[in-house]
Amino acid sequence: MLLADFGTSYCKILDTNQDHGPRVMASRDLEPGFMADLATGHNAARRSRRSINELTALARGGERLVGEEDFLLLDCGSRDIKYVRFQGGQVIDMGWNAECGASMGFTIELLASYYNIDYHTLPVPGTGFSITCGVLGMSHIFDAVVAGSSEAEAVAKFVRGIALNAYRFAGSPERLHLSGGLCDNPLFVGSFPCQVVPLGRFVLLEGLRASMERPDPA
Amino acid sequence: MSMRKKKKIGIVGVPPLAVLEEILSPESEIIDLDEPQVRASLDLTAPHLPRVYCAILRTVVLNVLHLDLDAIYIDVGPGKCDCALHVATILRDMLDIPVTATRNLDSAGFGTPVCRTRMALTDKLLAITASVRSTAPHRPLPPCRPTAGFWGVPPRDFSILALFPDTTHVYGWSRCMENKTPADLELEAHVNPEVPTVFFAQSFCAKTALARHLAARHPRALYVDCDVSAGSSVRAKIEAFLELSGVRGGDR
Repeated sequence: MLLADFGTSYCKILDTNQDHGPRVMASRDLEPGFMADLATGHNAARRSRRSINELTALARGGERLVGEEDFLLLDCGSRDIKYVRFQGGQVIDMGWNAECGASMGFTIELLASYYNIDYHTLPVPGTGFSITCGVLGMSHIFDAVVAGSSEAEAVAKFVRGIALNAYRFAGSPERLHLSGGLCDNPLFVGSFPCQVVPLGRFVLLEGLRASMERPDPA
Repeated sequence: MSMRKKKKIGIVGVPPLAVLEEILSPESEIIDLDEPQVRASLDLTAPHLPRVYCAILRTVVLNVLHLDLDAIYIDVGPGKCDCALHVATILRDMLDIPVTATRNLDSAGFGTPVCRTRMALTDKLLAITASVRSTAPHRPLPPCRPTAGFWGVPPRDFSILALFPDTTHVYGWSRCMENKTPADLELEAHVNPEVPTVFFAQSFCAKTALARHLAARHPRALYVDCDVSAGSSVRAKIEAFLELSGVRGGDR
């Protein structure tokens, strides 16, 4: 069975009949006729035979990967952020911010490419910009550079501000599990003012696996 | 032979029963201004109301801009909201027709059979909103066992109601509407803690505070607010909540 998490920037695809793990590809490189058996994400309804809601996939994936009764799972995507909070093994709260969390992952990647920055080499700054989304935060970088900051330092403060915004959106927990490609960004992960457990970018695929094992409602 | 033109009377909120009895007649047509009555951009209301304002009341103003009304009765008391109170002032200054502000404090309950019966949620809310133009109670309907709850006002965008199962019970101000006691705060705050419930409010409405408060106290709750139309994130949240609460399957 072909499972797919159709993200805005990247698609995560898993063929459950093959031994190898999931593959990641840029969404723009996806063949026009590609069709998954079960999928989630913004293109799921158009590119799959059966699709499930992203929050549902996130929750089911978290349930399998975290293995705790009480936890908060935050997914930071290319253009939105979403979270589910479990208590006593049940989802008791959730949120999806496609407006104020807009374009944060996308912007972080764009900045690295534009300024030629390796996030693995940047220390977490002592302070961050007060920003609410990737787009609105850009001007802070320009202002900081004009005021004498290095580009790398300004971008680091931007990333820290983005992480703080995501943390607050998730309800300012003491500990959170993180999902999404930004798990591989040590500056982003280190910018959260709480304990972070990175789960990687395949949490929603794991949620699809869990859904696959459920009976088909049709 | 000339047909006598019916008097077009617009209402906002739930008029007091005594007012409704007075204005209902074969010679009058009652138009619910809270509901979209015309196809036109809400931006046309910008000269009269801030753009960041309750979508229901912006709809009221949009309607009056397009309908050739003869009179308006607008409820402005605890059974509606302070925003309506100020819209009443604006309507008086905008229009050359009588704009009568009412304060519905009716306390005789008409019952809530529609809120508790098995029926598509969209149909339930349509029946409830239609009943503001009637002095009659709803016909008796058998109650069903609730599997989900919808708390709140009738939304500006009814499309979110299609996400719920037929066994959804209705709470909040919509229940007060059916009961014809729109100022009954105790009834408005009534919920069933056993039932996973979506607490809905229009963005920029004072009821967002009550919706959030009740949702925080409810063991299986989701708070959502939306403005003119429900975006994909609002729909996704409701879908996921109902599915993860075991209310219904979420596969599409």
